[in-house]
Amino acid sequence: MASRKDTPSGKTLDTPVKQIQIEGLVVMKIIKHYQEEGQGSEVVQGVLLGLVVEDRLEITNCFPFPQHTEDDADFDEVQYQMEMMRSLRHVNIDHLHVGWYQSTFYGSFVSRALLDSQFSYQHAIEESVVLIYDPIKTAQGSLCLKAYRLTPKLMEICKEKDFSSEGLKKASVGFEHMFEEVPIVIKNSHLISVLLWELEDKSTAADKHELLNLSSSSHLEKSLQMLMDRVDDMSQDIVKYNNHCRSLSKQQQQKHQYVQRRQQENAQRQSRGEPPLPEEDLSKMFKPPQPPPRMDTLLIASQINTYCQTIKEFTSQNLGKLFMAEALQGPSS
Amino acid sequence: MSRFFAKSDSESEESSSADEITPKATGTTFNKQALLLSDDEEDTKRVVRSAKDKRFEELTNFIKTIRNAMKIRDISKCLEEFEQLCRAFIKSKAIVDKEGVPQFYIRLLADLEDYLNQLWEDKEGKKKMNKNNAKALSTLRQKIRKYNRDFETEIASYKENPEQSAEEEEEKDDIGSGSSSESDDDDGVTAKSFMKKKPQEEEKAAPEASKFLKGAADEESESEDDDESEHWSSDSVGSGSESEDNEGTAASLAVVFLKKTQDGDKQSDRRRDDKKEDRKRRLKKKPTEEEGEEEGEAEEGGWEKVKGGVPLVKEKPKMFAKGTEINTAVVIKKLNEILQARGKKGTDRAAQIELLHSLAGISNENNLGEGILVKIKFNIIASLYDYNPNLAAFMKADMWKKCLDCIDELLDILFNNNNIFIGENIAEDSENLAVSDQPFRVRGCILTLVERMDEEFTKIMQNTDPHSQEYVDNLKDEGRVCGIIDRLLQYLETKGSTEEVCRVYLRRIMHTYYKFDYKAHRRSLGLQGETKSEQDQEESEGEDSAIIMDRLCKFIYAKDRTDRIRTCAILCHIYHHALHSRWYQARDLMLMSHLQDNIQHADPPVQILYNRTMVQLGICAFRQGMIKDAHNALLDIQSSGRAKELLGQGLLMRNMQERNAEQEKIEKRRQVPFHMHINLELLECVYLVSAMLLEIPYMAAHEFDARRRMISKQFHHQLRVGERQPLLGPPESMREHVVAASKAMKMGDWRTCHSFIINEKMNSKVWDLFPETQCVREMLVRKIQEESLRTYLFTYSSVYDSISMETLSEMFELELPTVHSIISKMIINEELMASLDQPTQTVVMHRTEPTSLQNMALQLAEKLGGLVENNERVFDLKQGVYGGYFNRDQKGGYQQKQGYQRGAPDQRGGYQQKQGYQRDQKGGYQQKQNYQRGGYRNQNQSSY
Repeated sequence: MASRKDTPSGKTLDTPVKQIQIEGLVVMKIIKHYQEEGQGSEVVQGVLLGLVVEDRLEITNCFPFPQHTEDDADFDEVQYQMEMMRSLRHVNIDHLHVGWYQSTFYGSFVSRALLDSQFSYQHAIEESVVLIYDPIKTAQGSLCLKAYRLTPKLMEICKEKDFSSEGLKKASVGFEHMFEEVPIVIKNSHLISVLLWELEDKSTAADKHELLNLSSSSHLEKSLQMLMDRVDDMSQDIVKYNNHCRSLSKQQQQKHQYVQRRQQENAQRQSRGEPPLPEEDLSKMFKPPQPPPRMDTLLIASQINTYCQTIKEFTSQNLGKLFMAEALQGPSS
Repeated sequence: MSRFFAKSDSESEESSSADEITPKATGTTFNKQALLLSDDEEDTKRVVRSAKDKRFEELTNFIKTIRNAMKIRDISKCLEEFEQLCRAFIKSKAIVDKEGVPQFYIRLLADLEDYLNQLWEDKEGKKKMNKNNAKALSTLRQKIRKYNRDFETEIASYKENPEQSAEEEEEKDDIGSGSSSESDDDDGVTAKSFMKKKPQEEEKAAPEASKFLKGAADEESESEDDDESEHWSSDSVGSGSESEDNEGTAASLAVVFLKKTQDGDKQSDRRRDDKKEDRKRRLKKKPTEEEGEEEGEAEEGGWEKVKGGVPLVKEKPKMFAKGTEINTAVVIKKLNEILQARGKKGTDRAAQIELLHSLAGISNENNLGEGILVKIKFNIIASLYDYNPNLAAFMKADMWKKCLDCIDELLDILFNNNNIFIGENIAEDSENLAVSDQPFRVRGCILTLVERMDEEFTKIMQNTDPHSQEYVDNLKDEGRVCGIIDRLLQYLETKGSTEEVCRVYLRRIMHTYYKFDYKAHRRSLGLQGETKSEQDQEESEGEDSAIIMDRLCKFIYAKDRTDRIRTCAILCHIYHHALHSRWYQARDLMLMSHLQDNIQHADPPVQILYNRTMVQLGICAFRQGMIKDAHNALLDIQSSGRAKELLGQGLLMRNMQERNAEQEKIEKRRQVPFHMHINLELLECVYLVSAMLLEIPYMAAHEFDARRRMISKQFHHQLRVGERQPLLGPPESMREHVVAASKAMKMGDWRTCHSFIINEKMNSKVWDLFPETQCVREMLVRKIQEESLRTYLFTYSSVYDSISMETLSEMFELELPTVHSIISKMIINEELMASLDQPTQTVVMHRTEPTSLQNMALQLAEKLGGLVENNERVFDLKQGVYGGYFNRDQKGGYQQKQGYQRGAPDQRGGYQQKQGYQRDQKGGYQQKQNYQRGGYRNQNQSSY
């Protein structure tokens, strides 16, 4: 695997990553990492290692980032990463950096920080992905692991750092087109598959009934709570934007009036044979108000979208379960 | 004393000659003098005077040297000094402008000119002169001629009648001394006679001199300035010496006065006259006010001196001439004389009071009748009030006692003599003071005096440290003040107009309303079991403060025409009702009076009274278990956080920008004396406990409400403070107790709540301050039980399918019917979605309450509605009104939907509406109180 030839960062792949293949080991390691270090809404992060094969990104290993504590503020992350990768290389493990993973709390991961770091990853290493692991859903019985990449459009915007509304409009980036999800395949060795089969065979039905848990309100409540917070943020942003627009238009009006007055005066002066008034820098007199950055709004929208997706997914599953339960109950009663 | 010595230099020779005798003066006199002078008021004035005096001192010094030079015919020296004098005069221009050209200056100018002319004429003498002097003579002559042109009129008037003006006298003295060199023979004679007399009169001279000194010192102690002071000092000396002459004593001043006798032959015959006449004569001559004052002064000085050791009878001759027949007219004249000095700058007020006292004594001795006595008493009291120069200062204890005594005496006289009419409107000249068949008519208003006395009393209480024994001692006078007011009340009830009666009633009310009538309280408690007739009997015989208040107030309601007195009376009445737990009367009176509407237009003292009444009303409601009323009444005072200030019980620390010293003084004057204070901790505790009893169940009921409102911000603030505490120890302060109790109540744990609210600490801090402690505590326990039950049901109803009322009644130690009624009320009010199952005595929950998830969804929907609205607004802005993403109809439809969504929460529970209803109900005085508070604050602000 080490023989894989390097792809220089600047070079664009003809075929972007279409599929991600994850080793079972990586999944286990991520889950374990969260189990051991993450609690509640705390987020754990780590580095993914692997390589690209054609349009398929194979993630074969990973290592966690140490949790940040306040005592070692001078901890050098890059240094740590390099050391880790070098060490792994020594034991002949894939050492190519292909992305990073992060846990999430009820699906809240779309943030400025994620965008920025994913941008820098993707900027440096073309094929980078971010794996989002949702421990809460996983605990409910279905593994939830998702891989995301920034869309090329968003990449361009980020490169230009133009987050004004005009820039975004020009790039025609909506919240739907910010991230693209890449399908994931988990690949295990045959031996492990065999073992899994055997384990499943042995396990009793009782071990699996978590999947059929009917209680949903707490999860939903939590999601709704978060959704509401986002909506509040969104409202604020909109109000801000609204105010901006209003002040902008007001200024425009003033500017217009000023120009008209100026023209009239000049016309009068001309008729009197006086020299026209000197031109003044209009842009200096009417400095347009600082437009509020729209990127945050976009991110919030995207986040709301994600919440909605999760809630939808969750409720549809639950509805299914409820119908099933009803059907089961029906004949007995 | 040092001051005296310092001054004596500036005095003319007479005083300096007197100075020689000072050591002989007895010590006691000097002590007395020092006492008199040690008036701080005078200290402040000393500065001003010294500035003036300095200038005039300077001038007189120059004049002295010039006169000396004139005597020895040293013209060059004269010239030199004259130039300096002119310069000094210009320097003191400012003072001269204010005071007028000093007479001694004019006198000098005139004399100098005469003198120079005389020299000029004397050709022989001129020849004898040395060259320097001759030259100086001509220069000086020209100069003075030129210079005098500016003062032509003054000099002319001076020359015209040098005999008649008092200055003339003085001047003559000066001339006498000045020209002593010329009339050597005379001088010799006087000296001899003086020498002869002196040894004989040695013993007598000492006291006399000291007396004179006293007079002079008094003079100085006045803020008399300028030449006049100088004149007057010598004048008074004159009068003093005259009286001495009468007695055949020759003081050290003899030189001067002998001179004078020779010059002023006119006076020689009058010398035998009594002092008073002498004064009168001078009064005629110079009717300036200063003079009159001065007269009084001079006389006081002389008179006081005598009083020191001599019996009272001897005093009389000083006041009136020995032979004068003392009749009403004379006394009135004298009185007017004394009164003329009143309020003048230089008047010695203490002496004036003494003087009036002695005058009263004299008139009494001579049986001049009650009329004159009343008149004098009026004036004594008035001067007692005048004693303090500024409004802020309060009376000294002895003055106060004197004042009380005087008023008492005055009232005695008025009671004993039915034929005295007093009134403000009796004109000065229509007064009838003489004993005659007609009733006395005296100008003056006893009511005003008593009112003033009452104010003085308040002032004294304000200015006494409330934690000292002194305060208690002062407070003992309250009884006397009340007694006086009571007597006045009796007097005016028979004689006064309704208006006056109203005023005196108000005074009486003001002294009654804040006092808890323990007698009546005990009586009502003791009589509860007894027969009704007995109770009636006791009530009628005992003077219940409630009955008195009722009577007085009703009279005022009926008769008063000034709004202020009625307002105050109503407020006091309410306060008194509230204090005695007559809640309904108090409340009805408050509501009927409509004071809440317009109290903001009242002046600050009335507003303070209003606030006090409101607070008392709230506390009363609390005692009666009307928690909501209590809370509403106290809300405004407490929520401002300035309860102390609003109740006039202290000033808040504020920086000086907001309030300068002047305003601070005004505010200080508004403060309520300590014995009338309402305990602020009690107030806060009552407020917080009632807020707790209201707020905790409310919070439990509206846990999921997105837009729930706080009933009491203050209470929430306390809760937050409690939560911020990193480590929660056992509660210490009253607030901590309430917070801890609130937390317990939130869990429905009434026992803990109870133990936090009612325990040793809280008892001693708060609850024991109530008259009916036990009742209040019982009420409180019951309220805590009930509200805890409600809280419990709100909080945990979702957990139960049904709950037995018996269990509840056991849990909260309430009787079954009570539990039943509480739950029924909750169901009726749609606070609790449940029904009662009668046979099993259980509450069956309906579970129609939205679950938390549903609540959340509703909230989300609401928020989304807002979001969409905002979004549309952006869109409108972009597209103009006409363009649109939605067209109009669609938008309307959408909004309707929104409306529906928003309506939904309202439909879901009646209690939200109910909450609104509650808020409306609260209305009443609370809203109006807001005004009021604003009013007071606005006023404050506007005055800043």
